[in-house]
Amino acid sequence: MTAAQSTVYYDSDLRRRPLVAEFQNFWRYRGLIRLLVARDLTVRYKRSVLGVWWTILNPMLTIGVLWIVFSNIFGRGGVLDEPYVIYLTAGILLSTYFSQGVIAAGSAIVNSRNILIKMYIPPEIFSLAASVAAASHFVLSLIPLFILQLVLGQGIPWTVVLVPIPAILMLMFITGAGLLIASAAVYYRDVLDISRVVTQLLNYLIPTFWTLDFVEGTAVELIVKANPVYSYLVIFRWWVYGGDRPPNWTIAVMFGSAVVVLVLGVYVFSRNWRRVAVRL
Amino acid sequence: MIVSPPIEVLDVSLRYRVDRSNVGTIKEAAFRTLRRQQKMESIQALDGVTFSVNKGEIFGVVGPNGAGKSTLMKVIARVLPPTDGRVLVRGQVAPMIELGSGMNPELTARENIILYGALLGRDPRLIRERVSAIVEWAGVEEFVDVPTRTFSSGMMARLAFSVATDIDPEVLVVDEVLSVGDKAFRAKSQLRMNELIAGGAAVVIVSHSIPLLRELSTRALWLDHGQIKMLGAAAEVLDGYEASG
Repeated sequence: MTAAQSTVYYDSDLRRRPLVAEFQNFWRYRGLIRLLVARDLTVRYKRSVLGVWWTILNPMLTIGVLWIVFSNIFGRGGVLDEPYVIYLTAGILLSTYFSQGVIAAGSAIVNSRNILIKMYIPPEIFSLAASVAAASHFVLSLIPLFILQLVLGQGIPWTVVLVPIPAILMLMFITGAGLLIASAAVYYRDVLDISRVVTQLLNYLIPTFWTLDFVEGTAVELIVKANPVYSYLVIFRWWVYGGDRPPNWTIAVMFGSAVVVLVLGVYVFSRNWRRVAVRL
Repeated sequence: MIVSPPIEVLDVSLRYRVDRSNVGTIKEAAFRTLRRQQKMESIQALDGVTFSVNKGEIFGVVGPNGAGKSTLMKVIARVLPPTDGRVLVRGQVAPMIELGSGMNPELTARENIILYGALLGRDPRLIRERVSAIVEWAGVEEFVDVPTRTFSSGMMARLAFSVATDIDPEVLVVDEVLSVGDKAFRAKSQLRMNELIAGGAAVVIVSHSIPLLRELSTRALWLDHGQIKMLGAAAEVLDGYEASG
């Protein structure tokens, strides 16, 4: 016991090795990350009467409204092979995962301020925990989608076993983006508000409730396809209910953007964390 | 055998820049930068502080408000990295600084104990085994699976203290925690602190209570404007500080 404790050792001269230290911390603090995720889920579900059902009900209400409004515009025959409501649900679920995840990961460090100014915990742990919580919500919210697929005769194709791939890559993407936002959010209060607006814009720029044929052949189509979240969405639709097979470049964009954004976010955060600690 | 002291603070300085124009948003920052109005002011919270604390020693820190006492605690607790100089801490640190942050009122006492313990750097599996001992010390056994939002502030303070001291740390950093709770709790927590100290921990304690420090500490440091004003035997330093008014 004593021997093990003596190895706990802090030397302020030992600099964090950028990138390496953060990934080591993600692993070393996995027990704490698990507890923080559990806290997020418990607190969210305990606070509402409907508990876990609220997670399922909440997106369904949004989807219900969008379905009533847009099914006559975007759900017309010919464009989609699948029922419009399934197309819409998959779109909303993925874009919600993206936008809520980025904001949760981005605000986690500032929100944990009162912990971070009193005891030493690598701050990036809180961002990763928030992303994992967002991923858990996403997985839970797939249940109503599966129900719709079964009820409406779309079925659940075997490719559903591949859905963890975009889910995990999105987890990497939002963790990286969250750390980028977090690095800036300690300096300026409005970074989070701006990020909220930007993620919302990015969400409108992917075909969640609308279909791509509306912008086909225009400059907007290029903008839509340049948004990495577009690639996640089309691949997710392909695998979760057997939507149209997207072109191969989307797979490259999905993998590439996850790795690039995660590494970039961790690196920028790593370069700034000393200043972040003082500014908190 | 030469034993290295558990805490070594070597010529530590901590500076940070504060924007006096109080720019809090990107929008404002952009405008000010354009008009070159950014007024950055450098604040020297600690300035060349050097000392070490040995095993079993109780090291008191005094000084007026804003002297850098809490900053010093945070530097030792690894929360703030020093701008210059070096800090060496050998052993497990128990930071007793405003206990209980991180506890969530929606969680039960048991869940909070495990989460708070993990935040303090302990293995969740080990804390799980200690839950009954922790709630017993805090006197909240009957409420172990009750959300802590129903707890009184005294119960919360006892619970947090019980979790924070449920180890034998090699380094104990105490910032005014002994002033919480009622008389009975203070006596009880004093006893617990004495146990930890007797266990051979190196203790750094910040307090505004000179009588308390007189009673407890062996050596003391008087900090003023981030600099060492006096360092030495507790009685001498505390006398000097009191004489300064």
